[in-house]
Amino acid sequence: MKKYNYSILLLVMFAFLGSSCVEDLPTKYEFTGYQFSNLDANAGQWKLVLHTSNEQIPLPTPAAPGSAELLKELADAKEMQNKATSAQLEAVSYWTNNPLLRWNEIALELATKYNLIPAPNPDGSYPVPDPANPSKYPKFPYSHPPYTSRMLAYLSVAQYDGLIMAWHYKYKFKRQASYQLDPQIKSAYENNGLFSYPSDGAVVATASRDILTAMFPLEKEFLAQKAQEHLESLLVAGINVASDVNAGKLIGAEVAKTALARASTDGMKNAQTTRVKSDSIKNAAKIRFGWAWENQETPQRTVGLVPLFSKVRLWNVPNVEAIRPGPPPAPGSPVFEESAKELKQYANNLTTNQRRIANFWNDGLNTYTPPGHWNRFAKEEVVANKLNPVRTARVFAYLNMAIVDAGIGCWDAKYYYHYPRPIQTIPGFKTILGTPNFPAYTSGHASFSGAAAEVMAHFFPANASQFRTWAEEAAMSRVYGGIHYQFDADAGLTQGRQAASFAITKAKLDGVD
Amino acid sequence: MKNYFRFLSLLCASLGLLSIANAQTPLDGLMMPKGEICIALQYDQVSWDRYWEGSTTRVNQNIGTFTKQMGMPMIVGGITDKLNVILSLPYVKTEASAGQLTGVQGIQDFGLSLKALLLEKSIGKGKLTGFSNLSFSMPASNYLSDYMPFSLGFGANELGIRAIGKYELDKGPYLRASYSYLHRGVTEAERDFYYAGQNAYYTAKMDVPNAFLGQVTLGSWMFKKKLRVEASLTAIKSTSGDDIRVYSMPQPTNKVDFDRVEGFAQYYFKTNGGFGLIASYQKAISGRNMGQFSGYGLGITYQFKAF
Repeated sequence: MKKYNYSILLLVMFAFLGSSCVEDLPTKYEFTGYQFSNLDANAGQWKLVLHTSNEQIPLPTPAAPGSAELLKELADAKEMQNKATSAQLEAVSYWTNNPLLRWNEIALELATKYNLIPAPNPDGSYPVPDPANPSKYPKFPYSHPPYTSRMLAYLSVAQYDGLIMAWHYKYKFKRQASYQLDPQIKSAYENNGLFSYPSDGAVVATASRDILTAMFPLEKEFLAQKAQEHLESLLVAGINVASDVNAGKLIGAEVAKTALARASTDGMKNAQTTRVKSDSIKNAAKIRFGWAWENQETPQRTVGLVPLFSKVRLWNVPNVEAIRPGPPPAPGSPVFEESAKELKQYANNLTTNQRRIANFWNDGLNTYTPPGHWNRFAKEEVVANKLNPVRTARVFAYLNMAIVDAGIGCWDAKYYYHYPRPIQTIPGFKTILGTPNFPAYTSGHASFSGAAAEVMAHFFPANASQFRTWAEEAAMSRVYGGIHYQFDADAGLTQGRQAASFAITKAKLDGVD
Repeated sequence: MKNYFRFLSLLCASLGLLSIANAQTPLDGLMMPKGEICIALQYDQVSWDRYWEGSTTRVNQNIGTFTKQMGMPMIVGGITDKLNVILSLPYVKTEASAGQLTGVQGIQDFGLSLKALLLEKSIGKGKLTGFSNLSFSMPASNYLSDYMPFSLGFGANELGIRAIGKYELDKGPYLRASYSYLHRGVTEAERDFYYAGQNAYYTAKMDVPNAFLGQVTLGSWMFKKKLRVEASLTAIKSTSGDDIRVYSMPQPTNKVDFDRVEGFAQYYFKTNGGFGLIASYQKAISGRNMGQFSGYGLGITYQFKAF
């Protein structure tokens, strides 16, 4: 009897241990190279964002098929393919034939890594990241939503302009890919028949490395190593020879330079203000409207997050006033009281689904932020629609320009109206989400998401209603979470949609979507 | 044989940033005879105003003093003289004295545990006993684990296996040691992206680290076995996991370690069943990704012969 008991115990124990091994949790989007739905032969004519001509960066004429020079390059590429290590083959499958998606993913991961709010000093003051000394705590950058939205716009625009130029040259020179020129070279991906000079992968690798290195200076070595691995994979994969890659690197480096020149003077470096400037912005609102937002943390953060992000240069919206909403209802007014009552009701009776929505869209500190969340959706949509690299870049460029424009407009409204958060206006109010360090009106989530959903709807009309539903959900998530009033959410969505309309109008000029 | 019983160990209330709250009774060195049932109601409260962020101490004035209370009904039954079953279902409430984040309350994890007496041998002027234990716990409500430090628990299934040895002198003093392995599953967050240990994860699933738990206890029976007192040292070490990032929120993936000292007393009004009272005190003395907690527990027990 005793023995019987113990053996049952043991059996149950081993059965459980055997069946409960933890699966590997995904650290990247799982997809492989694919057949592009089309090649967009005319993409070289699309409207550039930062450049004036698709030959602004001159390329040497590539060596002709059968030339000794090209034969040598083919032989080298073949040797690389034949001698590929398992790590190199793994890199080929990781980067795929649409590697922009991986660079975007790396950007989101870095945004997450650097999205930590500074902790207070012992004396109750708060330190500020110093771009001149990035490794000193708090590390530079603090990759909050405005920073991340701007970073993604520069990354995507540089990739886009670079690929438009690459496409122009591809169809100008019409050099076949290495796997077509030499039957002994096998393409690791679907044989898309895309011309290979210059290498679109090398454009993306180089431009992305340079933009991200400027945005995340402490990641310089990590990014250089990633780019090196990516560039090498282009040869191992059997789709490029060395001169394709070198030409791509040329374009990538130049477009990044143009983009970073814009970034260096776009006003971002003044966005985080001094206390004096911050107080004067607050007082202006107090005089104009009779209210002012105050940070509620202990110790108090006396300067909100990037009060002058509103002055950062816009991409497609002519000026912030063009998308500035009317004033929010005054605290104490009937509309305000209605909204405050609603917030208390949510706090006391939050449904499981509302809680899920609040947390799903939280995208707060230590995450890729709402702009990152929408970039993730875009990535999945691109793969589902099998877009080619230049078409992919187009989606991301217009998406991220609209998102950052919406953010700049949103930040203008936030500090122009300087509207207090629910935890400031409703006595004793507690929330399930952390209240961010900036005014309430309009909601950043709503604004970013309203813009993103419209751009996505433009490029992927079949799923338009899904994107708009997500945007509304993202906007409501902040109301469920107790950190925004309904009118913040509504005005934010409208503002975001308006920002997107300027981007979409520009995209339509190409007449290809 | 006297009905020496006990159902709630001092470990019942391992509260702090991460709850490892239930299925700890299995750790003690006592058995209920066949047909005896014991019902217990235990209340524990722990609080902290500092926590370990990684292994450095952090004070956050937006939390102030964090308090976790737990009320736990528990049933222990003797299936045979050498096999006991233990059931528990704690109700947990958390709150912070400062800041804007709301506390939560609700039913935490259902615990089921079997304890077997494997060895019983007289040696010198005392007796050596050995036990093994298998425990299982699972979330009993849809509480959100990814809301730390307020979450009710870590939101994953846990399987525990333990070895317990005890040497008790006939005069009353005893020494007990145990070693446990706690195997945890994954918990489900409500977001499908998070960052842990230098990696971004594209899933709502979070891996809750497994842990080893070691405990050494010195105790004694007094007053004709009506009173029992114990002092213990407990160490918990996670086998994996990441540190809380600077000034950031903890999450279920964190590597939670701590060492704790405890004092425990149990008083029996009669020596063969009926009512008993429990009082305990616990304090964390070192740790990682965990509140620097201290707190007390009170319990009432009732034992009777059921069959």
